[in-house]
Amino acid sequence: MGQIVVGYDGSDCSKAALEHAVGLAKGLGDEIVLVFGYAPPGIWGGEIAEHEEAIEEFGEKVMAEGKKLAEEGGVAVEVEMVPKRGAEALTDVAAACEARMIVVGSYGEAPLKGAILGSTPYKLLHQSEWPVLVVPAPR
Amino acid sequence: MESAAVPTPPPSTSATTTPVPSGGDKGLKKNAIGFVSSVVIGVASTAPGYSLAATLGFIAAAVALESPAVLLISFIPMFLVAAGYYYMNKADPDCGTSFSWVTKAMGPQLGWIAGWTIVVADVIVMANLAQIAGLYTFLLVGWDSAAASTAAVTAVGVFWIALMTAIVLIGIELSARTQVGLLGAEIITLAAFAVVALVKVYAGDAPASSIDPSFSWLNPFNLSLSEVSAGMLLAVFIYWGWDTTATVNEETENPDEAPGRATVVATLILLGIYLIVAVAAQAYAGVDSLVENQEDVLSALGTEVFGSPLDKILIIAVLTSAAASTQTTILPTARTTLSMARSRAMPKSLGKVHPRFLTPHVSTLAMGAASIVWYVGLTLVSEDILFDSLAALGLMISFYIGLTGFACAIYYRREIFRSVKNFFFVGFGPALGGAILFYLLIKNGIELSNPANSESGDSWLGLGPPLVIAGFFFLLGLFLMAIQWRALPGFFRRRPEVAPDGFLEGEAPQPPPTVAGGAE
Repeated sequence: MGQIVVGYDGSDCSKAALEHAVGLAKGLGDEIVLVFGYAPPGIWGGEIAEHEEAIEEFGEKVMAEGKKLAEEGGVAVEVEMVPKRGAEALTDVAAACEARMIVVGSYGEAPLKGAILGSTPYKLLHQSEWPVLVVPAPR
Repeated sequence: MESAAVPTPPPSTSATTTPVPSGGDKGLKKNAIGFVSSVVIGVASTAPGYSLAATLGFIAAAVALESPAVLLISFIPMFLVAAGYYYMNKADPDCGTSFSWVTKAMGPQLGWIAGWTIVVADVIVMANLAQIAGLYTFLLVGWDSAAASTAAVTAVGVFWIALMTAIVLIGIELSARTQVGLLGAEIITLAAFAVVALVKVYAGDAPASSIDPSFSWLNPFNLSLSEVSAGMLLAVFIYWGWDTTATVNEETENPDEAPGRATVVATLILLGIYLIVAVAAQAYAGVDSLVENQEDVLSALGTEVFGSPLDKILIIAVLTSAAASTQTTILPTARTTLSMARSRAMPKSLGKVHPRFLTPHVSTLAMGAASIVWYVGLTLVSEDILFDSLAALGLMISFYIGLTGFACAIYYRREIFRSVKNFFFVGFGPALGGAILFYLLIKNGIELSNPANSESGDSWLGLGPPLVIAGFFFLLGLFLMAIQWRALPGFFRRRPEVAPDGFLEGEAPQPPPTVAGGAE
């Protein structure tokens, strides 16, 4: 049994990625590893722990939903919350479990916009040592 | 991931690669950063280039030749209170702010007002920053007629606030290396400016108004108390932001090593650069020229000292400094309102994080919008926006930083007589720093109640504009606190806490965080 690592943040495109990954996992007999990467932006002063807690609470809520979605799809799910930026969190988890692949959603934005806003799939495609599957958001 | 087959039940979560520290030591280790980064944070948060550009002319107007002396002594209260920051951060190791610390030590009402003052100071400093950024942007491209136009400068200033808000909202960060590079360039530029100016003074290449530096410039006793306090009110601003170094958790290879080395180094850099630039500027140009060009003092001087086009480097240094300063101002302040919202001291929506960017986006947007409204409003009614906003800021900074100094002495009141070191660093020092800042607040409050003592001589309601600004926001804060208190009294029922016996000697466990979770 292998692992399929899925980046999840509750957005529509991450839901699409999860759905797709569930289908694959069923066919392959794999397990889903849902990953939420959170690194609070800015180490610059004031109230950073509160900020981190707010992000963690958000992440836990979103991941509980994601886990339910995947379980309803009939596959085994594990949840990982990693205090790193998205792409790094995903490649780290993939390395730790020698994943079959990483599945992420894509907002489908123009490359420049993605570069400004910080596109996780873009970074993954270039930096991941594991196969990456990018699932577009439903239009 | 050896046990990957075992599903983890929600909401308990685990990290594969980097274990999330649980409970008590959270934050402390996770956010520890290296020595160089700590120094950079301390200096960049203070924004030396922008601070000098914003204040030097006004301080010269207040104290003439004694600007260097005022810069020197203004550091004393900030230094004393920074020790308080350091010890409050020990009790509440989450890089808190005055909001969480004052709440802990002095109760929720004063804590709320401290948090509110941070927010208001942030909104006001954005107006000041935007004005400097707008002005220097035009000076950079040499468009002097636009630089003289209030409408044009304001338009660029508004754009600047919007851009910085967007950057913080999206969570774009410069890498540590870029920060070091930018800051290094800024410091070198300022130092080069000072050295060239001084060389020209001694070589006789300076204008006729130049004066040879004198040690009496460093002697504050040449001034009246009114002059000292007026100068210090403007100069506390120049060190504002430096205090964050005391709350940054510095990574040390040996935990027994004296902490706060980064604070010391950041301090030396700042004091050094401020003194040398202040001395050089006034030696080169004389006081009158500084006062005349108070709106854009570094640009005016840079042109004379460096000549074209090298003078543009100084303008770029001021602009990058202002940009770095917005980054270190907006985000921590947005996090203060996030923290307040999470402890039910402010509306809940301010505590939201953006699902994609993970930034406190509602807080950030609210603050950016308030800054723009305030900036445009102030520009419309005030002739002297830079001075009025700076003096009002001085009053607010004195208030909340002073309050934090008292908070430390009060929170540790049972610890301060345990050792001489505790007495001076935890009790007496922070309280004295607080007392000096409150003295500045009251003394200047009284002086500014006479409109003739404000820079513009404007009279609002028969008072000086800076006092009206500070008073208005204080009353608005009381009003908003009353509304919040009525709507959600839970937070306001909190009791002040006291440090556990023997905490500073390591005999008591870490007290639970005050703000996190909140008293419902």
